[in-house]
Amino acid sequence: MTFELNYRSGKPVYLQMVDQVKSALASGALKEGDSLPAIRPLAEELRVNRNTVAKAYGELEREGIIETLAGKGCFICRPKSPLRRQVRVEMLTREIDESVVAAHHLQIPRDAFLDLSRDRFDAFEKRRVASDNKAAAS
Amino acid sequence: MNPPVIDISNLHYTYDGQEAVCGLNLQVAPGRCHALLGRNGAGKTTTMKCLLHLLRPQAGTVRLFGLDPAKDEVAVRSRLSYVPDAPSFYPWMSVRETLEYLASFRARWNLSRQSELLDRFSLDPGMKVTSLSKGQRTQLALIGALAPEPDLLILDEPTSGLDPIVRREFIQTVIGAFQEGDASRRTIFVSTHLIGEFEGLIDEFTLLDQGKAILSLDADKARERYRRIRARFPGSVDAVDVPGGLQTRRHGREVEVIANGDGERIIERLRAQSPESLEVEGLTLEEVFMVTANRLPKEKR
Repeated sequence: MTFELNYRSGKPVYLQMVDQVKSALASGALKEGDSLPAIRPLAEELRVNRNTVAKAYGELEREGIIETLAGKGCFICRPKSPLRRQVRVEMLTREIDESVVAAHHLQIPRDAFLDLSRDRFDAFEKRRVASDNKAAAS
Repeated sequence: MNPPVIDISNLHYTYDGQEAVCGLNLQVAPGRCHALLGRNGAGKTTTMKCLLHLLRPQAGTVRLFGLDPAKDEVAVRSRLSYVPDAPSFYPWMSVRETLEYLASFRARWNLSRQSELLDRFSLDPGMKVTSLSKGQRTQLALIGALAPEPDLLILDEPTSGLDPIVRREFIQTVIGAFQEGDASRRTIFVSTHLIGEFEGLIDEFTLLDQGKAILSLDADKARERYRRIRARFPGSVDAVDVPGGLQTRRHGREVEVIANGDGERIIERLRAQSPESLEVEGLTLEEVFMVTANRLPKEKR
């Protein structure tokens, strides 16, 4: 797992890290049982405050995406959400709303937006299959 | 809520009638990395010297860990370390003797941290300090600052004039070795012009100008609040109406606006005037510094 931070994105640094882990999970680059880098070497490599990395990992843990095993590090959990379905739907709705607003600003009409959404699902699916094949081959 | 590690209230300092710091207020909470930014002569070093009790405030108060550095100098000194931009050592001492000398003033000295860092920097303990390069002198000062495991690390332009590799290593060492253990207690107060290199470390910053704080913000909030909006139009942009913004530049068919918290409104208004394209990005801390210190060109046509 490699992180890339962008100080021009306007997004808090710890959230960029959280989102990149989620995205790696969705594309299959990270799987259940995989470990995340330890805080100190990762903070040094990225040259970010250790508190920022700790905050990102704390948020991932709170969302039930990783778990910390004392003395061993942080690992990706079995996909389970501690939240009820309705809460999860509400969380996703907020994210979708943001994209809908962005689409409006970027003058992307509804149908093109929906087509693009389908394409993105396919793209992630493809990456996941590719990464599964690679894992099976090795 | 823990009391602030640094608490500066209405600080004034004047050299020969020249006001260096005038009415500065600044607080830093435990575990934060606070950057003091400003142009040369803005009052950064004077502020740091008042913290270190190298200068006595002429008005206002300075408190470290809730203590007055003038009254409790020993207690305050034992909890902080300072790395200046040009560290000086006794010329007759070797690296080892220098560290032993520095350790003699400290109640706590982590020898394994010292040898870990000597290795990391490939510093030979037998070397005379006079034969060290500028980068090696800074590395030695950093070892001397981190071995006592202070709660507060004060850095005054620590990496200026050093090569990029030494600079990178310096910052990585601060992150790795200083923030070791309880990172929530390890406070950093740094002044630097190399803002981009410290960007990931900085939690919050104060921008000084003529001895006054003109902006004090959380780093993530600053990057969220300051936006660069670029819109390209099919024709001339002379008539394009741009509300607000810190700066507006018009060039050919393009308008570039720096927004400070009013980005959404500006985007909305530009959008309504049918641009061909519109791009938005955040500003880095260095750019926030530049626009706020008014160093980018003003509106021009």
